Amino acid sequence: MLSYILRRLLGVIPVMLVVGVFVFSLLHMAPGDPAAIIAGDNATPASIAQIRASLGLDRPLLEQFGSWGWATLRGDLGVSMFSQIAVTTLVEQRVGPTFSLAFTTMLVAVTIAITMGVLAAWKAGSLLDRAVMGLAVTGFSVPVFVVGYIMVYFVALKWRWLPVQGYTPMAEGFWPWLQHLVLPSFALGLAYVALIARITRASMLEVLSEDYIRTASAKGVATLPMLLGHALKNAAVPIITVIGIGVALLMSGVVITESVFNIPGVGRLVVDAIARRDYPIIQGVMVIFAAVYVLINLAIDISYSFLDPRIRYS
Amino acid sequence: MTSSRRSVLTAGVAAAALVGAGVPHLTRAQARPPRQARMVPHGDLNILDPIWTTQNMAAYHGAMMYDTLYGIDANFVPQPQMVGRTDISADRKTYTMELRPGLKWHDGTPVTARDCVASLRRWQVKDGAGQHLFERVADTPVVDDKTFRIVLKEPYSLLLDALAKTTTPLCVMMKAEIAATDPNTQITKHIGSGPFKFVEAEYRPGSRVVYERNPDYVPRSEPASGISGGKRVLLDRVIWDIMPDAQTAASALMAGEVDFFELPPTDILPALGAAPGVKIEAFNKLGNLGQVRLNHLHPPFNNVAARKAAQLAISQEDIQRAAVGDPKFYRTCGSNFACGSAMGVEDGSEALMINVPMAQRQARARELLKEAGYDGKPIVLLHATNIHVMNQTILVVAQNLRQIGMNVQLASTDWGAVVTRRSNQNPPDQGGWNVFYTYSGGNSAANPISLFAHAAIGRKAWFGWPENPAIELMRTEWAAAPTLEARRAVASRLNRAMIEYVHDIKTGQWVAPVAYRSDRLRGFVQIPEAIPWWNVERYA
Repeated sequence: MLSYILRRLLGVIPVMLVVGVFVFSLLHMAPGDPAAIIAGDNATPASIAQIRASLGLDRPLLEQFGSWGWATLRGDLGVSMFSQIAVTTLVEQRVGPTFSLAFTTMLVAVTIAITMGVLAAWKAGSLLDRAVMGLAVTGFSVPVFVVGYIMVYFVALKWRWLPVQGYTPMAEGFWPWLQHLVLPSFALGLAYVALIARITRASMLEVLSEDYIRTASAKGVATLPMLLGHALKNAAVPIITVIGIGVALLMSGVVITESVFNIPGVGRLVVDAIARRDYPIIQGVMVIFAAVYVLINLAIDISYSFLDPRIRYS
Repeated sequence: MTSSRRSVLTAGVAAAALVGAGVPHLTRAQARPPRQARMVPHGDLNILDPIWTTQNMAAYHGAMMYDTLYGIDANFVPQPQMVGRTDISADRKTYTMELRPGLKWHDGTPVTARDCVASLRRWQVKDGAGQHLFERVADTPVVDDKTFRIVLKEPYSLLLDALAKTTTPLCVMMKAEIAATDPNTQITKHIGSGPFKFVEAEYRPGSRVVYERNPDYVPRSEPASGISGGKRVLLDRVIWDIMPDAQTAASALMAGEVDFFELPPTDILPALGAAPGVKIEAFNKLGNLGQVRLNHLHPPFNNVAARKAAQLAISQEDIQRAAVGDPKFYRTCGSNFACGSAMGVEDGSEALMINVPMAQRQARARELLKEAGYDGKPIVLLHATNIHVMNQTILVVAQNLRQIGMNVQLASTDWGAVVTRRSNQNPPDQGGWNVFYTYSGGNSAANPISLFAHAAIGRKAWFGWPENPAIELMRTEWAAAPTLEARRAVASRLNRAMIEYVHDIKTGQWVAPVAYRSDRLRGFVQIPEAIPWWNVERYA
């Protein structure tokens, strides 16, 4: 197992190299000039050219890639062309809100979805099953910003139960932290509830038709231990896979949620950077995202062997 | 003790009700330290050097933490700000300025004349009005710690206007060691002498900017007016919450989570206006002036007849209705210098035929296009889809041009890509362009010198590169005119010449009202192109 993990970790290096080349090329091929944006609308062409030179953007592209690549290998992701703050500092400032949102979203999604999926499978064909599946289709179909605005209107503006927007770090108190995350987590989590509930139901249905479940039932095992202890555990591998994919997908999903609920996370950082062509931030965050994707996939693969002892890595 | 399922449920509901009831109370208690205001500005402050960039947000930042030697008042007349006394020599070529007592940098050191001269030198490199002024400056000697001179080669009546203006880049004063930074490199230290201090430790670009009261600031004794007068600081902290989503900002204002929303979209204004405690008000009465820039280097718009055809085809009313919507907030305008400004003359605007039916205008435009020999080549319009006003305007312009027989091709992209492509002087089929749209503040447009887009110096001009020596002569004449009346007379001729030449095509003027909690805040000073927080008081 250890050698497998090491091999997988070493495999991260070529992936990151490809990501680096791809991101850098794509950014520099796309139209856009950070110097023109920095200079502002009223600037003279001469002023823009001077800023371009001062940022080193007039150097040959290969030279620019070389400097960025070498610095990245040393762990230096550069500084923002605009704010002149180190990319690592900007990411550090933003990772807390994004992580909090991702964590609470997945907590909400997994808790609700697995419960719904198990119940739907247990009562397959019933009204409950159809209601769960109907909700799943709705959750998948309604865009997150629509859900967000509706929630804000009722919960925050009409009933005044929760704040409209913003983020408070947990260091300033658990409740202030949580109250800012409730609405975004539910809004963002709805699609994941739908995704995970459908997979849970399908996976559970397959397991519930197995002989050993019928045997357990015949032996008088109570419904709850049978569903959770026997069926769900054996149905877990595809569910975990979908949750893992969901966590990875969250990285793109949080962008809209962070905007709608004004959460200063990594998603907004990178979208703002793209709009103004702040190359070091875009490149740095993309490299980090890629690494996180790879590590999440690795974690999922490893978890299989714990859930199903028949799976062994050599 | 035993508990039934019913009792557990009852307790749960009661707990939920308690938590629910407590939430708004908790929210309010945590969000409101005393004497604090929260603003949602129109954009992000991601550059902290108000000289390095001409971005408006940097100018707002500059107005908060820096001070200026002079400032325009509510009537656009320059008034002394950091300067206590100015002596002007009899030949009007030497301005001796003495700083008023008590001026201190945020680090506690005194403001000196040396600092001011270094700041002037850095500012003039980046500013159109500054460059125009310094072409006439012979020297800027420091007399003593508090006194310096601006010695001119010839009298220049716009000197104080240039120092006092609110258009970006503002002529803000910095410490000499900071002002020594190359003007094309961003400063890294942020020490001002203005009414608010920038709290660098709490700065989160893209999210939050915090200012706190400068306790050492000594306001002038005069009442605040424009960007001049007594800047009395009545708030301990001002927080800018950067919100990318207008609907969220509007909801936050209605819920009382923020106090000021600088740029609410016009479709949200009715809802905001109906919200209790929220007031809608236009602070910047001159608003914005839209302009379609035509590429003078390449066919068909290198021909004045084709430019005139486009000028007739483009309907200010159609554009404003699509981009702004509510006629309360927009107007058609035949001035290159913003209607309602001191230079807001409309001489020559009859050529625009603003009030003539479109069918007649289009018929005349078609004749002009034929005269220009337009061969049906594609006309490339740069189309920024991510900024509402720009998106709507270019769509209308495209339709207007199609209606007179132009073969329009939209190059749809975002503003970031437009600002890159618009600098390309190649023909449109080699990466260049024919038409793009932008807008400037009415106050900026009111000055033929400081707005670089007014220049007509060919390939060295602003994008579109108009070239017209007569216009350039008139701009110089305007700058040399000794009185406001004389300047207005030159502006009348200049406006006529610019319309006749079709320097660019104005698309109308509109104001962008702000929305704020009038049940908490009062005392706003109305300044074009800046949101000042001095004089503002939180009373509830």
